[in-house]
Amino acid sequence: MKIAVTGGKGGTGKSTIATALASELSSTGKVLLLDMDVDCPNDNLILGIRQKKVGDVENMIPKFDFEKCIKCGRCSRVCREHAIVFVPGKNPVLIPEQCTGCGACRIACPAGAISESKQSIGEIFSGKKGNITLVSGSMKPGVEESSLIVNAVKRYAKRMEKGHDHVVIDTAAGTHCPVIAALLDVKLGLAVTEPTPLGAHDLGLILELMKELGIGSRIILNRSDIADKKIIHDIARKLDVPLLAEIPYSKDIAKNYSAGRAIEHPAIKRIAKELLL
Amino acid sequence: MKPMKTLTIVSGKGGVGKSSIAASLSVLLSRERRIVAVDCDVDASNFPLLFGVNELGKRERVSTNYKAFVNKNAKACKNIVDACAFSAISWNKEKALPEINRFLCEGCGTCKLLCKDGISLKRVKNAVVGESKTRYGFPVISGQLEMGESGSGNVVDLVKERARKIAEKQGADLMVVDSAAGIGCPVIASVRESHFVIGVTEPTPSGLSDLKRVFEVVRHFGIRHGIVINKHDLNPGFTKHIEDFASKNGIPILGKLPYDREFVRAMVDLKPLVVYNKGFEHHFRKILAEVNKATRL
Repeated sequence: MKIAVTGGKGGTGKSTIATALASELSSTGKVLLLDMDVDCPNDNLILGIRQKKVGDVENMIPKFDFEKCIKCGRCSRVCREHAIVFVPGKNPVLIPEQCTGCGACRIACPAGAISESKQSIGEIFSGKKGNITLVSGSMKPGVEESSLIVNAVKRYAKRMEKGHDHVVIDTAAGTHCPVIAALLDVKLGLAVTEPTPLGAHDLGLILELMKELGIGSRIILNRSDIADKKIIHDIARKLDVPLLAEIPYSKDIAKNYSAGRAIEHPAIKRIAKELLL
Repeated sequence: MKPMKTLTIVSGKGGVGKSSIAASLSVLLSRERRIVAVDCDVDASNFPLLFGVNELGKRERVSTNYKAFVNKNAKACKNIVDACAFSAISWNKEKALPEINRFLCEGCGTCKLLCKDGISLKRVKNAVVGESKTRYGFPVISGQLEMGESGSGNVVDLVKERARKIAEKQGADLMVVDSAAGIGCPVIASVRESHFVIGVTEPTPSGLSDLKRVFEVVRHFGIRHGIVINKHDLNPGFTKHIEDFASKNGIPILGKLPYDREFVRAMVDLKPLVVYNKGFEHHFRKILAEVNKATRL
């Protein structure tokens, strides 16, 4: 089984649910947990797993040979990220943080003055606890393209999937590139939400995204009793997405989270059971 | 006229109260000066909701991005599969043509450079930008990325640009920016050119870890910043830990907010907390006083 835990809004309990589900599933088989919230990876903190660095994520950046450069400015014009500053008559200047490594400048250079050089944009970590193997991606602060690190985690973990019974993917908040990259080639996504207008708004967005991506979805309503849950039931009905579980607010869950422990809850057992059917 | 200033609220971790706090601060600030509220969480834009704005006015579909499309002349262009840095291109053996996954395509144009006649690069409308006047007198400007589209950093730039124009027209001299969660491109675009950044956190290991990461971005731009600890009483021991981190790094603690269900009730009522329950006003006044001590906005 391979599922993703996502939700749109931040702080609704994505990582809490993903880690709890991984713990629950680990009693039935080997679990590969992939933390693809590479902006802010936290699953290791929640599960108390000590991780080791297992890889660097690098992207290609241009390296200029100013002996060969004819100062035509074509590299700067083709760069859609505005990562190359060109002043006529001067050598082009790279702003590395802006560069996504697309390689357009190298291909466009008529003088062959651009070669590839590497820059580090993130790291991959891994660790084990019982039947759970955790692989996390971590983006270097200041780098813009989170999806490049997500893709690197996917490539790294691909060969490990076979040796595991279940794969659980924890995505970032939001709906943009890193979330899309994490959701692609998953068949089912769990959208974790809360019964507030903000939770409902963002739930609508993530369900729409999963529909667009052709992924099946289920809703998990977390902290279901902090406000009127009708707002979520209405969306579930309107978009015809099943509500898989409701988890009421509990100080114990909050305290465990605060202390860095995975939660145990009957609802998680039910979710696991239902998913395994 | 005074020069325009920008106050930006970030958190790294989502759901720690960033937007709620930004909404209350906006209302208090608007009683003393002209402001505009700016929603830079274009992934999941819900800042306007907190002011009771359900649907934005003056909506406009915008484009900040391109996407590549394959046409019949691409038969010879197998080389673009490996050239794509975003793994967006695969080779369809049956059709003997490259295939572009539009969700992964960033519109960089590299494939077009290699396969001039086989690829078309087209502008796509990837977001909606709009503005509304809130019932508190100031405008809120927001953007929302279309589903499955990329380029949120560029959309943030566009939202800020529009906010600046509105501010100038209305004689406002302060933009209050609510950033997205995380530390990637939309957050970098939100933080850039800010005069002060408030980092909201909560007393959990994740909250602090994410705050540290987003502050690395803030420091990268050399912007002054301070911390608000939300729900500080949920774990007093960890709150102390955050305070130690702050003092060790010379970052001011601007304020601490208690865990209180009134936050949720205010949100459900679509009102900033300082409007819903005046009893909380002093907490936010203190935060603003501390910001004023740290910088002149």
